Amino acid sequence: MSNYRFDRLKILVVDDNAHMRKLVVTILQAFGVVQIFEAENGERALHVLRESNPDVIVLDWVMEGMSGLEVIHAIRTNPQTPNPFVPVIMLTGHTSMDHVRQARDAGVNEFIAKPVSVKTMMSRLVAVIEHPRPYVRTGVYFGPCRRRRGVEEYRGPERRSETPKQQAAE
Amino acid sequence: MKRQQPIELFMPPNMLKAKVGGGLGGIDMAAMKRAEAAMDTLKSEFNDWIAADVKALIEARAAYAKAPGGNARGALLRRAHDIKGQAPTFNFPLIARVAGSLSRMIGELPESTALPLGLIDAHVNAIQVIHKKGLHDTSDKIAQALCAELDARVDEVLAAAPK
Repeated sequence: MSNYRFDRLKILVVDDNAHMRKLVVTILQAFGVVQIFEAENGERALHVLRESNPDVIVLDWVMEGMSGLEVIHAIRTNPQTPNPFVPVIMLTGHTSMDHVRQARDAGVNEFIAKPVSVKTMMSRLVAVIEHPRPYVRTGVYFGPCRRRRGVEEYRGPERRSETPKQQAAE
Repeated sequence: MKRQQPIELFMPPNMLKAKVGGGLGGIDMAAMKRAEAAMDTLKSEFNDWIAADVKALIEARAAYAKAPGGNARGALLRRAHDIKGQAPTFNFPLIARVAGSLSRMIGELPESTALPLGLIDAHVNAIQVIHKKGLHDTSDKIAQALCAELDARVDEVLAAAPK
């Protein structure tokens, strides 16, 4: 029993599919989250973000207009963003390692491959609460450290590059 | 590579933990049970949801056939991608597999290459049939053969596409 006060959280759910939003919102409400904001596209998400300053964002990848990756980029780099450190849980039907890498390189904190399950949603929520990652700022990247473990203990060769990786729109 | 700018690594204060507490840091089993129960109550709506998704896919296919340029291709991809991600939740794993094949083809074919309408239709028709017949069993031999055939045809199309 962890006794989390999920009722104190503000969560923004961004998905262009109303059914998926309802599914995620239902799960979060059952967890005890009270303040849940919804956005049906990236542009609306950024507006809600500025107005409501959520604690966590659950974000779809493939959407009309701004993709989830573009939304994350705006969150991390746009000066108008109230909190560039806000944890982002990426929710997507993409499941290949290449897509996971793209999401990681865009600055997501956690990744959920659809179909959504209660267990996965809980585990990712707990992960952003209990295991926040350090943040990195380089000339071309700002976001959670992409090396998930052992940053402090790492003694191997320096592989971090300043070279931007090409990120597909989707 | 010579660095132009130093790399800054820092740990922001954990405001989330301060906000929600949770001494043991584990899974909240009571919240999990509540959420599972809430999902069970939602299940009565899943048939309507998958029907709406299939209808949206058919409409996106019709729009693409009418005007392949512009946003129609992206819209078709999004509908297929949505179904791929959601159909397992709605207990239609076979529909998810076919939609996955369709979204793979649309997503991996270069934008400059026209989508083969016949193969799109084969996918959309298969999804309609699986939905109408209410096929949930992934071990259904006919459905398996159909999915394998669609996968193979998509492989052929992708292999023939310009790199």
